[in-house]
This record gives sequence, structure tokens and C-alpha cells, in this order.
Amino acid sequence: MDFDHDIIVIGGGPSGSTFARYCAGAGMDVLVIDKRKEIGIPVRCGEGLGAREVVAQGLELPKRCISTEILGAKVYAPNGKAIEWKDKTTSGWVLERKMFDKWLCELAVDKGAKVHTYTRALGLVKEDGNIVGVRLSHGGRDPYEVRAPLIVSAEGMESFMAREAGFKTVHSLYDVDTCYQYEMKPYDHENLIELYFGNDIAERGYVWIFPKSDRKANVGIGIGGNLTRWKKNGVDGADPKVLLDSFIANNEKLRDSSTLLDFGGVISVGAPINEFVKDNFMVIGTAAKQVDPIHGGGIALAMETAALAASVVIEAHKKKDYSRASLLPYEKKWKDTLGKKMAKRLLLRKVMEKLNDDDLNYIFKTITDKDLNDTMDGKFAGPVAKVVAGRPQLLKVLSALIS
Amino acid sequence: MITIKHDGCIFCVGCSSVCPKNAIEAVGTRMEHYPERCIDCGLCAKVCPANVITLHKGVKDVSQLKTQNPELETQR
Repeated sequence: MDFDHDIIVIGGGPSGSTFARYCAGAGMDVLVIDKRKEIGIPVRCGEGLGAREVVAQGLELPKRCISTEILGAKVYAPNGKAIEWKDKTTSGWVLERKMFDKWLCELAVDKGAKVHTYTRALGLVKEDGNIVGVRLSHGGRDPYEVRAPLIVSAEGMESFMAREAGFKTVHSLYDVDTCYQYEMKPYDHENLIELYFGNDIAERGYVWIFPKSDRKANVGIGIGGNLTRWKKNGVDGADPKVLLDSFIANNEKLRDSSTLLDFGGVISVGAPINEFVKDNFMVIGTAAKQVDPIHGGGIALAMETAALAASVVIEAHKKKDYSRASLLPYEKKWKDTLGKKMAKRLLLRKVMEKLNDDDLNYIFKTITDKDLNDTMDGKFAGPVAKVVAGRPQLLKVLSALIS
Repeated sequence: MITIKHDGCIFCVGCSSVCPKNAIEAVGTRMEHYPERCIDCGLCAKVCPANVITLHKGVKDVSQLKTQNPELETQR
């Protein structure tokens, strides 16, 4: 059978570009298509990224991709009490995401991948029941077919091709947060990520302030997508902007600041999809719902997953075998490593949404910055013991974390 | 069916990510709605962070909608 490429990657975000970089680097013929006019735009993101993933992949972020470095975090209880922790070194960055995505994509091009923007996948091409390519359209013009023995969905939240291939990528309202964010200036910050919890502030979620360069900050909110206490147009639903505006109006440092950018989005905070591979098809990154359920961050997991998936595909390519069985190690390895970490975070999210403001205030009064760090690392036993000792009624809820 | 007020849409694709029927899709520079697939579930309107989606329950096509709500014409 004649193929145009070894792999077609749908989506030029962090997962698609990273995957393409590794596969092209191993000598494979990779086509990346992205339906956006320009890679990286529009930005739909809080733009935070931990240092670890970038270092692990031997990359050095160019200055243009970094807005500012993050030195730690400050987490606020509903009553305003804060726990702060600082690292001695840079723990991460707030990115200029549009520059970052484009840079990652260019790295793939440098390794030999071919990228086409403004190119939308209209459907999968099948022969004898097997997926053999995709039908594409450039800028809405006449459709054409491109063929490859492996199609990779790195489509992000929309994931239409993954759906067509039979993956359950549609999100339930319970498993998403709906978010609104402004880039604001001036906001004098200490290069810390600030998080504000409380049911009045952000029901089933939180307000974040991510520091950026030049006295700027991303000020955003995420709340449960299944909330229904706002009258919207013909439905009762969740309206994060209303809460965010009220947070800003009540915050002395932000009340009079300007907004430089509005954006919002719906982020995945649930479990990953059950399976990632089928014959001639795989799903990576946010399309596979590989997103941190606590903070909704997808870049780090996307990059780690892409590297893992690429290592499996490079082996499959050597055997010219793109069957489900041949691709399955990606799914298995993911579930044994990144999946385990993600499962712990999901558990923590589900426990946290059962806590009321009094509980949260008590927890913040009781635990230290180290406890908070341990909790974020999935080491729950110490912090839970401390909290339950003084507030035994929380045992039932918190015991889920240590069973 | 639903209508999307494109003036105000922040193009976040949130609606599309929760649509169980693939009835909303980002195409070019805006969100496209396919009324023939829409089942009036309203999930898109519930999560829309920009609050630009209106659910018109029981309304099946645009012509019917325009007859009932002439002012909506500008929103499509």
C-alpha cells in the first residue's frame, strides 16, 4: 500500500509537536497538521509549566518563551490565611504560551517533521475497515486525502478525529472546570503562584494569579462545569466570569488594574480515557484527557506522554507494525507511570471538593508548607494524620487518601 | 437548537469539548453549529465561559427561530 507519510499527527500543540520531534528525529516521515491559522494562537491557558519536564527532555527554553520564573507558591484559605513555600531554584515558569508552542513546533521542523497550519481534518480515510489516512482541507478549500499507516490524535479538547475513531473523548460536565482569565497590569507580585480557595470565591475550584513579566499577571478562575446556580441563556449553568469579576472587585491590588487580554476555556479535570490506542491510531495529551485534575495543567503531561508514546512508535516503525498490539506498550507504560500519579491527583481533587470552608480553614491552620508540598507530591499520610488528629469528623472524607 | 453570539465568543472550544453529538466545531476562526445533529441538551450553554450560547428548546431550524425571534438574526 502506498503511503504519503509514516505518521500524520493531528494538532500542533505541545503533545503533537513533542511527539513529532521525537519521531522525526528517529528518521520517520511525520506530517503535523493544525487547524489554527498560526501555531500557538489563540492561547487558551494559564501558561504555567514546571521546570522538570523541560530539563528532562534536554531542552533549554529560549528567553522569548518565558514571561517570568516562578519561585514558589502561596495558597490562601477561605479566611485569607496563606501558606507559602519557596524553592531555592526556579521551580518553573509562566510562559508566553504562543511563543512556546511555536518554538516546540519549530523544534519538530528542525528534526525533519513537516507542519501544515490552517489545515483541518474532516474525517478518517478507511479501507477494508482499517484507518489508512485522513481527509484534510486547507483553509476551507477542496478536501484531499493524505495517507499514513499511523494517525495520532493530539487534538486537545475538541478531538473530533479521536471521536470518529471510537474513543470516548467527549467530556462530562462533572469532569471539567469552566474558566475565565484576564491578563492584568499592574500587579506587583513576588514571582509566586497564588491560589485562592473558598466556596464563595470559587466553588469547586480556585482563583489563580500567575505572575508575568513587567508587573503583569494572569488572573483566572476555574469552577466546576456541573454547577448550575447561574441563570444563563435558557439554561442554569456555571458562570466563572461573574465570580472572577467579584474577586477582582474585592482585591485591593487588582481592583484598579487594567485588563490586557480576556480568555477562557473548559479544562479537563477528570480521569484519562480508558484506552489510548487502536489499530493504526493513537491519542496523546489533552485529547486523551491526560490533564492534571488538580490544577488543570496539560503541557507537562503532554510532553511526558509524547516522549513515551514516541518511544513505542519508533519501535513499532522498525517492525512496520502499527497494530493495536504493537502500540499497546504506550498505554501500559503510561498507566504504570504517569497514570499512577494522575490517579492520585484525581483522588485528591475528589476529596477536596467535599470540604467546606471551615474544613479548609482548619486544614490550612494545621498543616505546614512541607505538608502541602507532600500532598502535591501524592504523599498524603502525614498531612492527613495531622488534620484528622484535631478534626476527627474529617476522617471519613480524608481516609480515601490513605486507603 | 442553540445559537452562538459570535460577538463575544472567545473561541475556547469548550462547547465543542462537551458536546455529545459533535454538533459544534471550531472551523476557521469561529465556532460552527450543526443544527441537524443538535439534541437540545444545553450542555454547551451550561459551561460556556463567555456566556454566548443560548438554548432554544424544541426549535429545530434557523428559519423557525428567526420567525419566533427576529432579533436573533444578527447573532448567527
